[in-house]
Amino acid sequence: MKQVVVHPERCVGCMQCQVACAVAHSEAKQLVPAQFESPRPRPRIHVGAGPYNEGFPNRCRHCDPAPCLLACLPGAITRVAETATVMINVDTCINCASCAMACPFGVIRYHEDRSAQAGKTVAVKCDNCLARQREDGIPACVEACLSAALTFETLDAAYKRQTDAVARSVSAVAAAEALAPGWALLNAHKKARLELLTSPAPSDEKRAAGNAREDTHVRHD
Amino acid sequence: MQYVIIGNGIAGVNAAEAIRRMDPNGRIVMIGDEAFPPYCRPMISMVLEGSVPLAKLPIRQASFYDDCKIEPILGNRVTELDVDAGRVDVNGKHVAYDKLLIASGADPRPIRAEGLELGNIVYMRTEAHVRRMLDALDGGARRALVLGGGLVGFKAAYGLMCRGLAVTMLIRSGYPLSMQVDAFAGGMILDTLTAHGLDVRVDIAAEVFEGKDTVEAARLSDGSRLDCDLVVIGKGVLPALDFVPRDRIEVDLGLVVDPFLQTSAPNVFAAGDAAESIDVARQARWVNAIWPEAAAQGKVAGINMAGRTVPYERSLSRNVIRIFDLDVMTAGVVDPQVITGAEVITRFDPATRHYRQLVFQEDRLVGMTLVNAIEQGGVLMALIQNRIPVAGRRERLLAPGFNYRALA
Repeated sequence: MKQVVVHPERCVGCMQCQVACAVAHSEAKQLVPAQFESPRPRPRIHVGAGPYNEGFPNRCRHCDPAPCLLACLPGAITRVAETATVMINVDTCINCASCAMACPFGVIRYHEDRSAQAGKTVAVKCDNCLARQREDGIPACVEACLSAALTFETLDAAYKRQTDAVARSVSAVAAAEALAPGWALLNAHKKARLELLTSPAPSDEKRAAGNAREDTHVRHD
Repeated sequence: MQYVIIGNGIAGVNAAEAIRRMDPNGRIVMIGDEAFPPYCRPMISMVLEGSVPLAKLPIRQASFYDDCKIEPILGNRVTELDVDAGRVDVNGKHVAYDKLLIASGADPRPIRAEGLELGNIVYMRTEAHVRRMLDALDGGARRALVLGGGLVGFKAAYGLMCRGLAVTMLIRSGYPLSMQVDAFAGGMILDTLTAHGLDVRVDIAAEVFEGKDTVEAARLSDGSRLDCDLVVIGKGVLPALDFVPRDRIEVDLGLVVDPFLQTSAPNVFAAGDAAESIDVARQARWVNAIWPEAAAQGKVAGINMAGRTVPYERSLSRNVIRIFDLDVMTAGVVDPQVITGAEVITRFDPATRHYRQLVFQEDRLVGMTLVNAIEQGGVLMALIQNRIPVAGRRERLLAPGFNYRALA
């Protein structure tokens, strides 16, 4: 069974996965008409930023055992063993946010969704694009990702690649060519740029917090 | 192997299921005071407010006991526990155990006042209690008095306001949920509730209830008289441990358990609202009488009872509440005074009404209070629960959206 594997070090933060995810969960399945749907389709993958603005694709890990499943008050969260997918039953969900408190990755959002009854706010998260997979497709986020930060493969294959990387790392010569230089260069560039931008004046310190957009109303007690 | 589980709340249910998965043939006897199918206790407040129908309360099929090959003894409480003989008494019968789980939960803390025998004066703890409240609503109750501003009193008041009743709430602290949230968040909650019509009175107790059959008025400690046709008592809970021999098992507020949820008596385990384990944030013994704790502890207790040794060292007080347009999530230490060396950072954005208070002790996050933008609060909670050292700029954690990469 193939699963989505996330490689955060390769993410360039283009957010195309978010767009693809929202479209994949729309009625029309096409970008332009999807924007006019109500409720408006929203992504279930969320690209955040690291301290140097490097991308971080944050997505449900479909944990086993899943903390959200154990915490769900009405028992709306279940595990589909065949696809290793943790699913939320929107009809049973009562929007209590107990899963928000349980999820260590912060990947669950609360809003209306086309899968739920109109006007009802429900917990929404990644469903591994089971509908696309049933039609021999792959998850939309993986299809959209051009930097291979998201891959769809068996966990065995992913583990083997990691094991190989560790094995190569014992040889200095082999390790040098092991990891793709492009992303490291890009991240080093982002880091250097931010440090240049932010180092001189302490008042500019705020700009260093790339993802802290709400700094305008800080209250320190 | 004969397992006996006292209590059919979520701790008992999860323990029974864990045992059954690991030991298909052991005998499991489950003793429960409530005969209703296993249900979700926190959801009774949603039944009261009308957002969830009563029929949605059960979290297991009515056939749960048969499905797990459990022998239920329902409708009675355990009267005695003999740890030397290895048996409990219920309804005049002896039930022997090899492994015992005490998941007897907690009972509402009683209050002292005259006239408590009148109708329409209820606690809010069980599905039976909420049924009585719904009956009172059907009977035309219009004015409610809620005693206590803790979680139960607060949820009762909110539920009754949603039902259109005029509600007066008597609390001891200056704002509701003083054990769960800091003063600033408490003020936001209080403002929201009063804006929706809640009448809050501080430092006043009810002394006498008057009425013919059902309650009609309450006389308060300041001498005033308040008309009311429904009274809800929500003054917290106490572990239900009347049957426990305190000279044989160590009991503090709850049953003191080790990391494997074993009590000081051999083969006796405890989980849920009746158990007292080490709280991660406080690093001290604490009874965290909340649903997610009971669910997790029950599961781990069951695994340990079935013979596999698994520690549980994640106990943490926490809550998430949605009322009107406010979402509140809180965990760990909210009052920095209770620990030494606490450092507090806060942020309030008046435009979005997002508020965060984070409490640190050395390099660890030990407490949080979030108002609105709570979606990713679980990340903070995981930092507290796993005692992850927080490097870098702590202020980053005050942003509504962040991820582990931002902590690097």
